[in-house]
Amino acid sequence: MSTTEAELHCEVCNQLTDHELHYTGRLLDSVRCTRCGTHVELSSRALIPAYAMDLEHRLVSKPRRMMRRIARDPVGYLRQLPGSALRQPRKFLNEFRELLRR
Amino acid sequence: MPLPPSARAAVVMLAAGEGRRSGHHTNKVLLPLAGRGVFTWSIESARRLPAVTQTVLVIREEDREAVMSMLEREVGPPDVTVVVGGDSRHSSEWQALQALAPAIEAGEVDVVVIHDAARPLAVTTMFASVIEAALEHGGAIPVRDQAHLASLTEDGEQPPDRVVAVQTPQAFRAGPVLEAYRLAEADGFVGTDTASCMERYTDVPVLCVPGDAGNIKITFPEDLFLAERLLAKTDWDLSGRQRHRRESAMSHLRDLFAHGDKP
Repeated sequence: MSTTEAELHCEVCNQLTDHELHYTGRLLDSVRCTRCGTHVELSSRALIPAYAMDLEHRLVSKPRRMMRRIARDPVGYLRQLPGSALRQPRKFLNEFRELLRR
Repeated sequence: MPLPPSARAAVVMLAAGEGRRSGHHTNKVLLPLAGRGVFTWSIESARRLPAVTQTVLVIREEDREAVMSMLEREVGPPDVTVVVGGDSRHSSEWQALQALAPAIEAGEVDVVVIHDAARPLAVTTMFASVIEAALEHGGAIPVRDQAHLASLTEDGEQPPDRVVAVQTPQAFRAGPVLEAYRLAEADGFVGTDTASCMERYTDVPVLCVPGDAGNIKITFPEDLFLAERLLAKTDWDLSGRQRHRRESAMSHLRDLFAHGDKP
């Protein structure tokens, strides 16, 4: 799960406040206002099938995305490839673990 | 009337934000949404039109590194011109117009389209309709009727004036919009939007074209969830249902729960 912070309008505070955004894979999972704690999230019932669909799309579109990166910067891509490949299993394990925890 | 093949438009994407600029948070237009950054969705929608020959992206200086990296990863050629915005929308538009001034003065741009990058769901047809209307009339803004916001008259009737919500993209003939902003700069005038500056300094008519209910601006947390579902549908359907089943935009929010719990 990745986390980022952004300014959004909180309906409870009725003003622009900092919000914590949590992502599972590429999908927005939940958003929390850091001022009042109001929390909006996708239910597991919606998130798990959506994650599965998104994962399928990530896999199907991977060759095209790889080709685009290779065309743009072949040397840089080849240099980063071993590290990225080694990080993938851990990344997916973390995503699956976060999904199962919900 | 379809867009004439000779039409040339420059699109200005306003991505400098309107927040408090505290610096530690991510600008909402840089948030990932359905696999790519919020602002790159509208760049892609606009650039599907052959008439769009130039793109100017207005950013905050502190976002430069993130923006350049996203542009490299998600936006293909031709290059996007990146300029740093000011402390107001008007000032950001002025920065963009200054970057476009040589091309406008050389007659290489007929129409300037101003778009808020926090509206990632603006579709290509909307860009086409405002460009077309601006070419014909001088200026065009998309609006949505908001009759429910109007106070009734003493007789309990709707007031004669329309109450509308104004959206972007807004398009204007390039020469007059540049001239209007030059005059505004000289006067120290700061408009609330492009149309207000045009109305003050030019007699170019600004036409209202129909807006789109789906062209939401990312404002509330719920907007991000809705936009993610709708944007994903351009490539794949997160709900896993058959694509031919038509559903209302709001049906995608049925699994979204708000909790009032305090930390």
